[in-house]
Amino acid sequence: MAEKRIVLSKCGSIDPQDIGTYIAKGGFIAFIKARDKMKPQAIIAEIKKSGLTGRGGAGFNTGLKWELARSIKAKAKYLLCNADEGEVGTFKDKYILSNDPFGLIEGMCIAGLAIGAQQAFIYLRNEYHFLYDPLVRAVGQVREKGYLKHMDIQVFEGAGAYICGEESALMNSIEGMRGESRYKPPYPPTRGLWGLPTIINNVETLMNVPHIINNGAAWFSAMGTGRSKGTKVFSVSGDVSRPGVYELEMGSTLRELVVGLAGADDLKAVQIGGATGNILPASMLDTPLSHETYLGSGAVVALNSGRDIIDVVQNDMHFLNDESCGKCTPCREGTEVMLEIFGRLARGEGHEGDINSLDALARAMAVSSLCGLGQAAAVPVLDSLRYFYNDYIDRINQSHFLRSYLGGELFKSEEGIR
Amino acid sequence: MGNVNVNIDGRKIRVREGSTILEAATANGITIPTLCHIKGQVPSGVCRVCVVEVEGSRTMMGACHTPVAEGMVIHSKSPKVIAVRKVIVELLLTAHTGDCVNDSNAENCALHNLASDYEVGAPHFNVRNPRFYPAEESNPYVKRDMSKCILCRKCVKVCGEVVRKDVLSIGYRGFRSKVVSGFDEALTAEACRDCLKCIEHCPTGALSAPARV
Amino acid sequence: MVPSKKEALSENGRAGLLPALKDRAGREGCLNRESMSGLAGQYHLPLNEVYGVSTFYAFLPVLPTGKNIIRVCRCLPCHLKDAQAVIGSIKKELGIAPGETSGDGKFSFELVSCIGACDQAPAMMINDKLYGDLTPAGIAEILKSYA
Ligand SMILES: Cc1cc2nc3c(=O)[nH]c(=O)nc-3n(C[C@H](O)[C@H](O)[C@H](O)COP(=O)(O)O)c2cc1C
Ligand code: SF4
Ligand code: SF4
Ligand code: FES
Repeated sequence: MAEKRIVLSKCGSIDPQDIGTYIAKGGFIAFIKARDKMKPQAIIAEIKKSGLTGRGGAGFNTGLKWELARSIKAKAKYLLCNADEGEVGTFKDKYILSNDPFGLIEGMCIAGLAIGAQQAFIYLRNEYHFLYDPLVRAVGQVREKGYLKHMDIQVFEGAGAYICGEESALMNSIEGMRGESRYKPPYPPTRGLWGLPTIINNVETLMNVPHIINNGAAWFSAMGTGRSKGTKVFSVSGDVSRPGVYELEMGSTLRELVVGLAGADDLKAVQIGGATGNILPASMLDTPLSHETYLGSGAVVALNSGRDIIDVVQNDMHFLNDESCGKCTPCREGTEVMLEIFGRLARGEGHEGDINSLDALARAMAVSSLCGLGQAAAVPVLDSLRYFYNDYIDRINQSHFLRSYLGGELFKSEEGIR
Repeated sequence: MGNVNVNIDGRKIRVREGSTILEAATANGITIPTLCHIKGQVPSGVCRVCVVEVEGSRTMMGACHTPVAEGMVIHSKSPKVIAVRKVIVELLLTAHTGDCVNDSNAENCALHNLASDYEVGAPHFNVRNPRFYPAEESNPYVKRDMSKCILCRKCVKVCGEVVRKDVLSIGYRGFRSKVVSGFDEALTAEACRDCLKCIEHCPTGALSAPARV
Repeated sequence: MVPSKKEALSENGRAGLLPALKDRAGREGCLNRESMSGLAGQYHLPLNEVYGVSTFYAFLPVLPTGKNIIRVCRCLPCHLKDAQAVIGSIKKELGIAPGETSGDGKFSFELVSCIGACDQAPAMMINDKLYGDLTPAGIAEILKSYA
């Protein structure tokens, strides 16, 4: 199957620094339609009907979320665009922000009308600092055109913390606090930034909005699967010959993406959705990609047959341990204990008990952690135990051998000293 | 606000709307363990030992901060809940590296009491570099032994929200998180006077009154 | 900064703290005690609170750093493309390990989480500039341009 470029349709064909080129390609027609011809309720109804879901990982129905925020009476409401993109292996938002900032801003303008927000923020990760000035200029051009009379957009830069991509941590960060997650409920649409109703959407989610307003909900929901409508933008990296950003209809298979487009061969496994993503063996390449199956942020890392799964999960865990906010026990302590275990397994000092420990820890973290980071940290561990159990057993058997061998060596040399 | 009907451990309970699961349980004589919660204060929700199963929910919920809803069916002592609490207590014991054997206060340690309630023995988990800090005895009112700290944040909360002195905050991130005063310095006598509230709330021996000479 | 509606920002006095901390760290290389004390006063916050916020974020160092900060990605896509060899090459060039600053104060060297350049793995940033498709042999050339 070929790519289906909707979200990325203007990338490469406009000048990201010139709003004129965006308008020449039909830009802001959707916004003007929404502003002049549609009531906020009608915008929300259209988005709801389209079945658009969040592209940031959780896959929640976007229109439903907007409706909730709309329905609450409050002195102010906020719209936040999540451009923190810290999930390992994800770079599609960077691609979008670099090539079509106006598409995002138009989506935000429409979202602002729908929910009744007067202030919006784009939370941009510090690592994308080079996009800060271009984004501010793009917002400025939109403002000059008079499309930001109902709402202002400010670009807010993060300071280096993956967890700030989690919606409640993101709000804490804007509020000038440590970027720690909050417990839920309350959810942001009821009590968000500064306690007021807040909508947080991923860059890609908002990019879809103008297309839905222009072409209608029916057009959009004709694409995709049962719960996953439209397209998805994937970031593919790892053992492929053509790493990069690809947009496919929801429900396309892993094989179409990783083998067909990105050019992988000799695969052992793929990890989908970053360091907290599922690890699937190559035998599952015909799995369709959707919220119903596997998707996450759309990061796909290909692993060839030479790769060591334990090394992969150890690397994931290293990241999660570095990035855990440290607020709750299971994640703060659990990722550390897991990392100790993976370190020993890698060094050849593992034992059978480690498998039970990993399993018990992962199961407890998955259900008791305060936020999605600690909950999902269990995923690569449990998947690797499920699909690559023998890799663990082999490693532990090697460890026994290594220990007895080294132990003997050690004994000899100690004797030698005495 | 009206009342709602919930079911906790098979018992039908009617509680005020807006109560937390913990409040509903406590009011009806059902105990749910807590380590980070201070009655009457906004919940912290950080220790996670209060997690319970709520039917229809993908994850367990913190009882101390989750409000009840009409028709909620809650299991506070199911085998799954017990198993998870045991892991959490074991993780906290792993982190709690201070010397408790020689500590006369060990029987007052809420963590050790919880561990014995849940029959968690010596932890078999390890960490690469435990959080070892020298004990601080520079303050005449509060002795801090942060190696024993389980990061429940009660001291931070009491100092900030109850006493309103605000001399403690959480610093650093992840496993390296630590309760800090100033620029992570020993608590000075100027910063902290003698209210002793934090000692009262600390669930471990991390905060104690210095031995009087 | 884009001018924004004052009402929105004045809700909470702390709203400007993070940008202010970043600004200071950027200008002075790190958040020294004077900067943190100054901002604590300005935002009516205790010192411990400002310190707590600063030490949470990777881009807000509280200890002096080198003139240029090298951040090499150590996450999976770069790891698969032998980031380790690049790290080894930087170590050799500068004679310092990750987490250290060179004796002449020119470079600090850090291993960091994914920087979103996985299609150009292995990748690193020096200050705000991205370098992708690195090879161990190419490192010396890049570092020289900062001499
Ligand atoms: C640890 C963690 C990190 C996250 N990082 C991001 C991120 O970088 N970008 C993003 O859009 N969503 C991220 N999310 C998801 C957000 O919490 C939130 O669900 C999303 O921004 C909502 O937007 P959407 O409905 O448009 O997907 C993260 C979630 C977790 C738990
Ligand atoms: S799960 Fe991890 S990241 Fe989330 S609140 Fe707990 S410690 Fe923080
Ligand atoms: S010092 Fe005591 S009260 Fe404070 S966080 Fe640590 S364990 Fe909790
Ligand atoms: S008592 Fe509920 S999380 Fe600690």
